[in-house]
Amino acid sequence: MLNKKSGKLLSLYWFAIITLTAGGVFVMVYLFYGAPYDVREIESHILMNQVADCVSYLGRINPDLISGGVVSSNSENFLESCHLNFSSIEWEREQFYAEVTFYQLADLDNSFFEIKKGNSDFVSECNIQGKEKYNNLVQCREGSFYSVDELNNQYIIKILTAVRKTEKNVK
Amino acid sequence: MRNKRAEVLVNNVIFLVLNLIVLSILIGFIYIKGNSAIVLEQSYAKNIALLIDSSKPVMEMKLNMEQAFNLAERNKIPFWEIVKIEGNVVSVKLSSRSGYQYSFFTNFDVTIYPDIPPNKNYIIKINGYK
Repeated sequence: MLNKKSGKLLSLYWFAIITLTAGGVFVMVYLFYGAPYDVREIESHILMNQVADCVSYLGRINPDLISGGVVSSNSENFLESCHLNFSSIEWEREQFYAEVTFYQLADLDNSFFEIKKGNSDFVSECNIQGKEKYNNLVQCREGSFYSVDELNNQYIIKILTAVRKTEKNVK
Repeated sequence: MRNKRAEVLVNNVIFLVLNLIVLSILIGFIYIKGNSAIVLEQSYAKNIALLIDSSKPVMEMKLNMEQAFNLAERNKIPFWEIVKIEGNVVSVKLSSRSGYQYSFFTNFDVTIYPDIPPNKNYIIKINGYK
């Protein structure tokens, strides 16, 4: 009699365990597939590469930006000349930001020339993104490289890119 | 004695059947969620947008979209209507009730079309700059 009762209790106990485990898996799967894929980090990396390729190619600075040690007037149309388009019918406000800063190797404290395109509100969010990563803020990427102009003047070029698109990448 | 054994057997069978039902519902749920139109549409749209962003003219890319083709076939969506590019926005549609859009930042002239059947690929052609 005792065995029979304990057998039934054991079955119920196991069934409850399986149901609880299944419930847990349900919740995990729902949360996993319910959250969008966050691709902004890759996107900001790709944007940085595209900007870098436009600013300098094969180690030489684009003459549309700096020619013979002088800033070219064409640099105003940076996005057009680099074939970038930060506006989209999908978004009311621009979701990208790109900043290129040129430093002459002789004077690394003062920037020689700057290009800022896109939504500049993102810069403050990039400053907040330090060691801790906040998914709800814009995703930023920073990089620098060395290049020379036609007259072999040497420059260090720093690039900062930021991508927002929070609604499409974060739940 | 015989009755007791039969009772134990019935109890065990009921227990096993209940477990199987719970597990099969769970597996079905995971399969449906993982292969749902909403998940695949988002994944393909973002994939295509990132591929375009990281490309250079004149590139031609072939993207395997077997899962998307199979789902579109089930949902009676023509293959040539799965992916569309309007302006700088990629749209992926795998069922009549859903669809997903994601934009890219490069100013490329892009053509996108399905591969020749039975290949379940989409061909992305970067023709040049706009």
